[in-house]
Parts: sequence; C-alpha cells; structure tokens
Amino acid sequence: MGPESPFTPYLATLKTATQLTPDIKLLSVELEDPDIKAGFDYKPGQFALLSAFGEGEAPFGIVSLPLQKDGLEFAVRRIGTVTRALQELEPGDTLGVRGPFGNYFPLEDYVGKNMIVIGGGIGMAPLRPVINSILEQRDDYKELLIINGARTPQDLVFQPEFPTWMEAPGTKLELTVDRGDEEWKGRVALVPDVVKELAPSPGNAIAIVCGPPIMIRFTLARLRDLGYKDNQIVTTLEAKMKCGLGKCARCNIGEKYVCQDGPVFNLEQISQFLEQP
Amino acid sequence: MNLFASKDDVIRWLGELLKEHVVIAPVRVQEQTTFQPISQVEDVVFDFNNTALSPKGWFLPPTETLFSVQRDDGKVELVPTKVERDAVIFGLHPCDARGIALMDSPFLQEPSDALYRERRSRTALIGLACRQAQPECFCTSMGSAPDDPSNVDILLTEGEDGYIVQAVTEKGKALLPKGLAEYKGKVPAPPKLEAVPTKEVVSAMRELFNDPYWEQVADRCLHCNICAYVCPTCYCFDMRDYADKGKVERVRSWESCQSPGFSLTAGGYDPRTTKGERLRQRFCHKLLYFPEQFQDVACVGCGRCVRDCPVNIDIREVISNLKQVTEAKSGS
Repeated sequence: MGPESPFTPYLATLKTATQLTPDIKLLSVELEDPDIKAGFDYKPGQFALLSAFGEGEAPFGIVSLPLQKDGLEFAVRRIGTVTRALQELEPGDTLGVRGPFGNYFPLEDYVGKNMIVIGGGIGMAPLRPVINSILEQRDDYKELLIINGARTPQDLVFQPEFPTWMEAPGTKLELTVDRGDEEWKGRVALVPDVVKELAPSPGNAIAIVCGPPIMIRFTLARLRDLGYKDNQIVTTLEAKMKCGLGKCARCNIGEKYVCQDGPVFNLEQISQFLEQP
Repeated sequence: MNLFASKDDVIRWLGELLKEHVVIAPVRVQEQTTFQPISQVEDVVFDFNNTALSPKGWFLPPTETLFSVQRDDGKVELVPTKVERDAVIFGLHPCDARGIALMDSPFLQEPSDALYRERRSRTALIGLACRQAQPECFCTSMGSAPDDPSNVDILLTEGEDGYIVQAVTEKGKALLPKGLAEYKGKVPAPPKLEAVPTKEVVSAMRELFNDPYWEQVADRCLHCNICAYVCPTCYCFDMRDYADKGKVERVRSWESCQSPGFSLTAGGYDPRTTKGERLRQRFCHKLLYFPEQFQDVACVGCGRCVRDCPVNIDIREVISNLKQVTEAKSGS
C-alpha cells in the first residue's frame, strides 16, 4: 500500500492526567515519533481526534499552545464510552492522535482590539489557548475581559490558571456560577446576564463565545443588544465529526463541513449558512 | 475499433482473469442478483436487470477493518489493512460505473482515502451496456446513458450471438483477450428512457431549503435507510472500535443520514432532529451540496431507491416537484 492511511492515528503516550473538575481531566499527551512531534503544528481553535483503542475515537479541541513543546493538552469531559476510556488511561499508556484538523481563531486579525472571551463549562476548553495566546503577545491586544461560567464552583475548568489570568496586565477575569455553595463568594448568575451587567463596549472589540447551545443563544442576543455586529462575534461549532477529513459526511451544517470549513466561524458567516445550527 | 466475443469467449476470458484477479460479478443469491467475488465462472449471471446492490461495496465495503491494534508487551502497533490483489468488476452497468466515478471525488480528494485509492487503482471495470431499461431507470437525465462507455475500462454490448467489445482505456486494452475478431456491424441502439426535469435543480434546492415540502414528503419515511444502502453514490460512513477476545480493530461501516442520531453529538446537540430535516439532508447532499462541492449531481438515475423504498418516496417525483414548487413560488 502507498502512503499511510489518513485514518491511522499517530501513537502517543499519556504523560499526565490532572483532574480539573469532577468530570473533566486535563490530558497531557506526547507523540511518540519525534519527527511527527516536531512537525505537529497547530493554532488555537483547531482540534484533534483522540483514540482510546478498543473504545473508539472522538474530537477534542487542542487546549495547549504550539510553543509548549512538552506535549499536547486536551480537556476531556467524561460523557460517553470514549471519554470514559480516555479518562481511565494511566500515565505511560498509549493512545492515538489524528490531526490537527479544521480552521482556527484568526487572532492575527484581532491585533489592536479589545478582546472579550466568554465561555461556559467545557466550552472554556477551546478558549484557553486563545486566552494564553493573547497573554503571550499581551502588547498586541488592548483590554482582555474573560467571562467564565459553570454550573457550580467546582465545575470551573481551568482554576489553576485563574491567578495568572487575573494578574495579567489589562486583563479581567469574571467568574459566575449557576448555583453557589457555602464557600462561594462570587457571582451567582447566568453568563448572558453577566454579559448584560458588565456591558463590554462593542467599540473596537471582538467577542469569542463558546459553551452549551442555550448559553450561546442568549449570550449572542445580549451581545447584539449591546451593539455588537455579527462580524464581531466569533464562535466554534459543535458537530458529529468522525473522520476529520470531510469524507464521512456527518458533520455538515448545510453546505459547510464543520471539520474542514470550521469549527470557527463568526456570526456573519453562520447567518449565511442554508441550515442554521 | 470494436471487437467481437462470443459468450464462450467471454466465459473463457473470465476464467483467465480469475487466475490473477479477484473477479467481482453479478451472481444469484437467493432471489436477488448482486455483485460478489466469484470462485467459478459458471456462477456469473449475464442476463440481469439492475442488481440489488451496486458494486460500490468493493471500494467502500459495508463493513471493513481499517487497522488492527496489536499489543506486544504493552507496546502498541497499528496494522493497517492492505489491498492484496488486483481486481476486475465484470458486468456493471453504466449508471453504476458513474456512481464509482462520483465517489472518487470525496475519496480521492487529498488527503485521499488510502484503501479506496488502492482498490480503485488496482481494479478494472468491465461494463455491460443495458439492452433493456427498467421502469425506474432515468440515467439519461443524470449525465449517463444505457450505452455510456465513459466510466469503464471496457464496455460490452450484447449483440446477436455474442458481445461487441469496446476497449475504452489503456488499462482496458491490456486486459483484452487475444485473438478477438474485429466487429464491423452496427451496435444495437440503447433503450429510450423517460426524462426527469433536472434543469436548475441545484438552484431550486437552494431556494426551497426552508419550504414545508420536506416535512410533508418525510411524513411517511420510516428511516429504514434502504435508499442509502442501495444507492451507488451514498458514501456516509461510521467508524467504531471492535474489541473481542483481545483482538481490537477500528471498523468502518456504511451509515445513513436518515438514521435518528446520525448527527447527534456526545453533548446532546443535533442539527437535524426531525424526519423532514433528515430527508432534506439526503436530497440536499445529492442535489445541492455535492454539486456545489464537486460539480456533479450525486445521483446516477439507477432507480434503486425508487424500486426499494417501502413508502414510495421517489427521487424523480421530488425533482419534478421542486420544479413545480419553484414555479408556483415565482408565480410563473
């Protein structure tokens, strides 16, 4: 047979697995082949397909940054058989990686802008490399406002990084939960209501939104109320992505294949889809 | 130049081909005629109408292992499936050959599907022109014809006392048996088919995307998926891991956009939850998305879905209705 099949994953080793929330683990993964590892270049917003051999394969956003040479990171929420198997892997175990796939957040287009990053639950995963990219090139952007919501305080995903985010210059981190607990002294409010309350100005701004569909829907409405234009609001779409190559014909929304044309779109682009997500 | 082969010549030729190739040909299985690898030439059926399934399954099998996972002392190795032998598909009709040509677009697009590409380059297509049309046939409306040689390596046409043999490609010429005489007679005329109004179907699909028409047609759909399985151009697939007694394989299998849950994500989001949305997806993929992506409408007019749909959803009728609904909308 000729060149390798695009369906054969690269082999990788699980280096560390860190419990981030009761149902989300951060997996740090190293590709076995040094040449493939060196050539695995990606940008915030792109995804990879992870294989737990014997259970199957599923898509995950890559949450590390390419300059982190020590490994690829994925935030895996336990939600089905593949994610359960991935969470049960021990450091040193082998898994499969295919990718990187899809497009990415065009951060170079946002240079000089105020950035509003709004994430709910596991929706923070694709936003983490966006935030960390902005912080790496902090001078390239103006104000950075992060609004991060979750069901409960324990479900806030990237808590170990909160101090760094809060202390970064020109950066605000606003946390909110649907239900507090005894220790929680922060906001108890839904993300769209926090957007309404904080009312970040649409002037010279880009809002990047990711989270459950219901949060996205109401957050977009609040942003539009504040005067954001559709080309100022960017999101990343969820779809049934099996092959990552535009061949299995499962992830299309209208004429767009999310695995190839997406997953990142702005609202202006989405509004022109025949089928609405 | 056309050549002539008697039926005995063809049988001898198939016998020769069988020594070096996998030969996939129409055979009778219970009450159906279908394409299968043959072990003896006597099983080949020469006189048949459209087979139960198209021969697409040779290139995209209903179920196949993409790779197996081998573990040796904790060390994992992935062993991809290899294509071992050259093959010949014998007796496919021009509509089915066009179906294969259409499947090339997604599967050979880079990065190409290695198994598909290998099978495709190592398989020769020996077509058989249709002498009779079935009531459900409409290939002439879909860019092909009962005597269309354009997607095969060799085309046979049944004449009096034998077959007129036309080598279409160099690959076909290399496969021809030696010693066939030149045929100087007339090639029998192909059957005439009723036309389906496909003009501007792509723009009509775009215009009618949000029309209630789709829910109306879908009311009777049983989402049995037979339309997708018999279709020579339906290529949606699923990939799953199969683990049994320590043996682990990644398996690819046919899927259909008519299945509930086809587009359901782990998080519970599904862009197509109603039958109407799913049925519209099927027709949109064939008549709108595929042509916008790869130029051609992804239907070859073989009529199998028309023949087999248990509730008589008829793509010819849908195409005709599109024309009527757009005309009614524009008030002409």
